[in-house]
Amino acid sequence: MKWLLNALSSSVGKKFLMAITGLLLCGFLVAHLAGNLLLPAGGDLFNDYAKKLHENEGLLMVAETGLFGIFILHLYLAFSLTWGNNAARGKGYAATKSKRDDTMSKTRPDKWMIGSGIILLLYLCLHLFDFKFHRFGMDQELTALAGDSEAVTTKVAIHVLKSPLTMIGYAAGFVFLFAHLSHGVSSAFQSLGLSHPKYNSLIKYGGLAFASLISLGFFVVLFWAISQ
Amino acid sequence: MSGQGMELKLQIWRQANAEDKGRFHIYHLSDVSPHMSFLEMLDVLNEQLITLGEEPVAFDHDCREGICGMCSLMINGQAHGPDKETTTCQLHMRRFSDGDTIVIEPWRAKAFPVIRDLVVDRGSFDRIMSKGGFVSVNTGNPADANTILVPKQDADRAMDAAACIGCGACVAACKNASALLFVSAKVSQLSLLPQGKPEKAQRVLNMVAQMDEEGFGSCTNTSECEAACPAGISVSNIARLNRDYMCAMLCSEEGM
Ligand code: FES
Repeated sequence: MKWLLNALSSSVGKKFLMAITGLLLCGFLVAHLAGNLLLPAGGDLFNDYAKKLHENEGLLMVAETGLFGIFILHLYLAFSLTWGNNAARGKGYAATKSKRDDTMSKTRPDKWMIGSGIILLLYLCLHLFDFKFHRFGMDQELTALAGDSEAVTTKVAIHVLKSPLTMIGYAAGFVFLFAHLSHGVSSAFQSLGLSHPKYNSLIKYGGLAFASLISLGFFVVLFWAISQ
Repeated sequence: MSGQGMELKLQIWRQANAEDKGRFHIYHLSDVSPHMSFLEMLDVLNEQLITLGEEPVAFDHDCREGICGMCSLMINGQAHGPDKETTTCQLHMRRFSDGDTIVIEPWRAKAFPVIRDLVVDRGSFDRIMSKGGFVSVNTGNPADANTILVPKQDADRAMDAAACIGCGACVAACKNASALLFVSAKVSQLSLLPQGKPEKAQRVLNMVAQMDEEGFGSCTNTSECEAACPAGISVSNIARLNRDYMCAMLCSEEGM
């Protein structure tokens, strides 16, 4: 299998892996959002879902490990490619100006994917700290609410999301998630060679729509929790 | 024309040789005719510098009609200046106004080292080409034009890719100094045609390997290359290269 490793370690090969891991992470986002939208759906829906999720700890462990692996690979590729790209320029220009027609070329998200990615990584740390590690017992009330259960309950979710720091952090996280996905999704298709005049605008606007819907969905959950 | 020309402030990168650190020099040029091409404007500057006993500014050029790909200037931060699908030699001074400051820099990339002033060494492109940018089957005497039938659409697409003049504007404009637009055009122009198909897999693998070896960056799909390309090469060629690379990697016997 050395041939595969060789081919995948080229710049084009790394971009394949970047695209595949990125799209897999998008799949995770869809599943995660679907679960979270059970919160505003009301009733015991969310609690039941969380309990079911944790009923089979073995399976959950496998899924979490897989997700972690995909995430680490995505992260490693991002840093390794960025490092190579910065080195490839060497001395920079005194002036740069885009020749693309679209406005806001300087602020377009495709120019700072590594930036939005790093912010998302920080957001993810906050998020895991909040829900997976229950703030390491720093928040007495939360620790009491969470109890022994691994599953996040509606009460825990509301408690966490209502704290001011979390509110700001999460809202910022969702904005940067939108920025990252607005380029990432369509870019992944191009990296995989999936480009065709009949489908290109679907890929471009579909990617934007996907980014908007995911970000909006998480905002809905956040606002719902704040209003509780 | 005298008295009607433009006054320009030129901020030009001067570097004695590859080892020199280099710096910007400011030159004031007056009475610049709007009908001049950009390179003619530099010719006028150089005449004045020679008269003053100074070193003229070195810059690359050859055909001066947009076909050879030798001219290569970063003008006010844009590869080949402000016009779309135009080389520096075809750019006219009427695109600028009286009193303008024009910043002129060489292409910047590790794989394009500056040799002198605005001249860079684009030998890395030649080395990429030498790894497969050709068809190596012996074709013998010219065959009848219709012996090998090529669908019109494929011929057109191959022709569009073959419009690449290898100037390096794609590398210069890309924030990652990636050469993927160039490589993809060179791969596409052959892989689309029956004559190029037999070596399709090894061509794409070898040319990409050489591209990495030369120290070009990777493509992050920002499409700056397409916007800067004087030959109008489309990023759809990059998608085709990605497909070809994937097929070569997974389905061919190359690279084993
Ligand atoms: S000098 Fe030949 S393309 Fe400009």
